[in-house]
Amino acid sequence: MKLFYITFRSVTFAQRGERVLTGAGIRCTMQRTPRWMEELGCGYALRVWAADVAPAVERLRAERVQLRRVYGSRDDGQLEELTV
Amino acid sequence: MIYLDSGATSFHKPPAVARAVIRAMNTCANPGRGGYPAAMEAARQVYRCREEAAWLFSCRPEQVVMTGSCTQGLNIAIATLVRPGARVVVSGFEHNAVIRPLHALGAEIVIAGRRLFDWQDTLDSFRRALDRGAEAAVFTHVSNVFGYILPVEQLAALCRDRGVPFIIDAAQSAGTMELNFEALGPAFIAMPGHKSLLGPQGTGILLCREGGRPLVFGGTGSLSASREMPPDLPERLEAGTLNVPGIAGLTQGLRYLNRVGVERVGRREHRQLRRCVAGLQSRGMAVFSGPHQAATVSFLPGMDCEAAAEQLGRQGISVRAGLHCAPAAHESAGTLATGTVRVSFGYDAGDAETEALLRAVSRLPPCPQ
Repeated sequence: MKLFYITFRSVTFAQRGERVLTGAGIRCTMQRTPRWMEELGCGYALRVWAADVAPAVERLRAERVQLRRVYGSRDDGQLEELTV
Repeated sequence: MIYLDSGATSFHKPPAVARAVIRAMNTCANPGRGGYPAAMEAARQVYRCREEAAWLFSCRPEQVVMTGSCTQGLNIAIATLVRPGARVVVSGFEHNAVIRPLHALGAEIVIAGRRLFDWQDTLDSFRRALDRGAEAAVFTHVSNVFGYILPVEQLAALCRDRGVPFIIDAAQSAGTMELNFEALGPAFIAMPGHKSLLGPQGTGILLCREGGRPLVFGGTGSLSASREMPPDLPERLEAGTLNVPGIAGLTQGLRYLNRVGVERVGRREHRQLRRCVAGLQSRGMAVFSGPHQAATVSFLPGMDCEAAAEQLGRQGISVRAGLHCAPAAHESAGTLATGTVRVSFGYDAGDAETEALLRAVSRLPPCPQ
């Protein structure tokens, strides 16, 4: 199963996102955003399964949680930024 | 000790507050500064506090900015809305936490509504002052000296109708009276964490509609490569390490209020207010009381107010005397020269405490003026 990353500008947005997704039954795990994903440095991300990423983003937007970017795995295992 | 100075700080907190402080000191690192368990636990503690406050005050968690005090929150709010020389309308019952920052910014301070417990006067005066033009308005919800509950809903409507951004000082009301941020529509509501929200000293909350001007600049754990403060609430206004143990304690205070209900707490306190006012009046004291009064009452003891409070203190009664950091309120009531003795009830006030106060007041000797 592939993992996707939804990144946020702050820990508070990530926490609110975590609550929203958990409340919607979407499993996620919060972690620090890998440095290369955030050129402005220091942020938090939610890790979700590939199958959940579209409903997760939709849910976050519906709840006005400001997300920054979405990263997903390519077939070769490398992560890249996605347009969702 | 009979503690009747909840207007200054709540003294007896729910036991869960102190337990949470100790637990946080043993389990929490720096929130938003790492991904390891102790840092994540600290972040969780802070976010729980935002959630509890958001639930109590009807706003979103990210609109809850953690401050060190109500004063700090008011300073941020005022610095955001008020330019030097700006005309700002305030009530006649403001604390120095409002008056001094406005003065320091060089604002033109217009005081509206000086009559105690008189909503009509307050509203008419505000209407007139706002109609002459104002860049902002600041008003307390409850006078910290006299317990006068200002008509905040109507004042908020007056400001909204005229497009005047406004700040509510909820130092004396948060935790004992309903406050709906969304419905009132202010730019900011500032409140202490350690009074009726039952948290530890060194905590406070600033509810923000959108953004704000930071007074302190520095690390936030986010967007670190930028020299600018992050644009997003709450981190924009929270530079530096947060008081996590205090916030963890405050969470428990908020949780208590969300569970018990603010209205019930207010009713309990108000019962003691009525009992106290009647008892003081029957003992010949000049008591400032009226309709629209929260569980705070000032009286003139017939002797120097500080001496009276000291004598009450020797009998185990803790009350506050003097000007209560609110000379504007004393000016309005005509007590600037004398000050008053203030009794303020907390969530745990009962008949026994009120009776003990009244017995002690009966024993006050007359003093030469």
